[in-house]
Amino acid sequence: MTGNEDAPANLVVSLDRLNKWYGDHHVLRDVSLGLAHGERIVLCGPSGSGKSTLLRCVNGLERFQEGTLTVCGTTMDGKPASLTEIRRRTGMVFQHFNLFPHLSVLDNLTIGPVYARGEPEAAAIARARELLERVRLSDQAAKFPGQLSGGQRQRVAIARSLMLTPDVMLFDEPTSALDPEMIQEVLDVMEELARDGQSMIVVTHEMGFARRVADLVVFMDQGEIIEAAPPEDFFANPATDRARDFLGKISTSV
Amino acid sequence: MSAAIGSYATIGKDAPRRPAPHGAGRLAQLKARYFATPGTSLLTIVLGLMTVWAVVSFVRWGIIDAVWYDPTAEACRTASGACWAVITEKYRVILLGTYPYDEQWRSALIIAIWVVWAVLTAFRLFPLRLRLAGWLAVFAVTLVLMRGGVFGLSYIGTDAWGGLPLTFLVFGGTIAFGIPLAILLALGRRSVFPVVRFVSIATIEGVRGIPLLVVLFFGTLILPLFLPPQLDVDKLVRAEIGMVIFFAAYAAEVIRGGLQAVADGQDEAAKALGMGYWLRMRKIVLPQAIAIAIPALFNDIIRAFKNTTYFAILGLFDVLGATKVALDDPAWVRYGLEGYLFVFLLYFLICSGLSLYGRSLEQDHARRTRRAEQ
Repeated sequence: MTGNEDAPANLVVSLDRLNKWYGDHHVLRDVSLGLAHGERIVLCGPSGSGKSTLLRCVNGLERFQEGTLTVCGTTMDGKPASLTEIRRRTGMVFQHFNLFPHLSVLDNLTIGPVYARGEPEAAAIARARELLERVRLSDQAAKFPGQLSGGQRQRVAIARSLMLTPDVMLFDEPTSALDPEMIQEVLDVMEELARDGQSMIVVTHEMGFARRVADLVVFMDQGEIIEAAPPEDFFANPATDRARDFLGKISTSV
Repeated sequence: MSAAIGSYATIGKDAPRRPAPHGAGRLAQLKARYFATPGTSLLTIVLGLMTVWAVVSFVRWGIIDAVWYDPTAEACRTASGACWAVITEKYRVILLGTYPYDEQWRSALIIAIWVVWAVLTAFRLFPLRLRLAGWLAVFAVTLVLMRGGVFGLSYIGTDAWGGLPLTFLVFGGTIAFGIPLAILLALGRRSVFPVVRFVSIATIEGVRGIPLLVVLFFGTLILPLFLPPQLDVDKLVRAEIGMVIFFAAYAAEVIRGGLQAVADGQDEAAKALGMGYWLRMRKIVLPQAIAIAIPALFNDIIRAFKNTTYFAILGLFDVLGATKVALDDPAWVRYGLEGYLFVFLLYFLICSGLSLYGRSLEQDHARRTRRAEQ
């Protein structure tokens, strides 16, 4: 419970010495980080480093055994009330989009606000149309997810999470399942969001995106934060061999 | 020519065109299919002759030499063909059971209402809510008409209920109560609460381990011995409860299969949107799970329809039970074959209808998923 009383008031997310185990496997080791309002953190690291797990802890999709998580002043205490409050403050975009295949694009957007928050349908539909416009899909509202390309689906998924006007957006490898020619259209939408001052935590391997958008790049390996630095420092001279090794591998693979 | 590589690729320049038409005519196709080798030809000829023989003898027995109308069963005795007169004579008992003769218009009206609403449902002429509300009304009207005691209708106890209305009521009740119970059992089996999970598993596995007949005998004959006499539940209701639980135990496993086929990401995405458990189940997970489970679910639904015939053994006169009673008449007892053929045809028509309806729901879903997988 330490850390949060002293934490600056403008933190949207703060994690204090988070520890998580799968059985005996220690997947998150003493992870502490804070995201300031209006800033962007990019989490990177080799697969299995715990970055997705960490992100999923932030909105309660995964539980952790030790440490403190606070989102917009609400501390996760394992009770339904805190979970509900944290989920209404966060939006999440998944690697595999996870759109609801049995609902139209418009219904995918409105189902959260209308059913989970009891918002009037007309207001939700109006906002859904605005957001579809913003992700440049206003002509696709009546279609079903299966009729869209991967890039379009992911943009719908982004619009869907924005419907709840989250204080922080969590992106879990949003471009990893996309064909190469569709990656940019999704990154463009995310960059636009960043320019508008949206707080975000992004797990990604798109280092160009990290360079342009991140305020802080956090490098993780084996469940630990190894390095945290502004992008210009991180990419120019990584402090550790592990980060250097990682950057070397992903740049040769492109 | 460079000697460097042997591989090559030609740059395309043709416009798109249609495929060449299929060569073989219909006759050639038939020949290839049925007379390809001497063995195939022989088989075709032998099976063809057997089929012709079977059709000719059935037509002679069932139509040419048949007796269609004969109130005294005299002509039937000398005829060499089928005695369909047994149907024209006994159809009221077969279809309406032992329901009092003067009130049989009530049973007939019930059959008409069920058939009409089933057809309207199958063709999806109304939105889902209206269809379901309609079924509620159909149930209410059926109970009022069968039982009477209100609106100037005379009271008729459940021991006199019978025939197709009873079959419909038992079947409809099994589905109407069974599917919600099956959904609860399927969800319960996946629950995070150990007690809920244990109760669900115990119910499903327990009931699946017992034959339906035993469930029905237990409900109608044994259970009353242990219950206080004040708690005098109607025999029909007790048997119906057995039917519902039996159906639900099987359907629960089918629905659980559907639940497992829905990707975890669906539930996670709904959680991330702040949706609670029941909302996620109702709006996101179950609609997809049930769509996946439809083929197997209709298997159970059709079986539930046929299982209504077990009521005959309990002394309740569903269609099969009523037919048995009708054929007990000494004048007609020899024409059981014709009577049962009629009942067979009736069940076949209804089950085929259910099967077609299931397939059309499946095609609806397939259209949507095909869209989803493009």
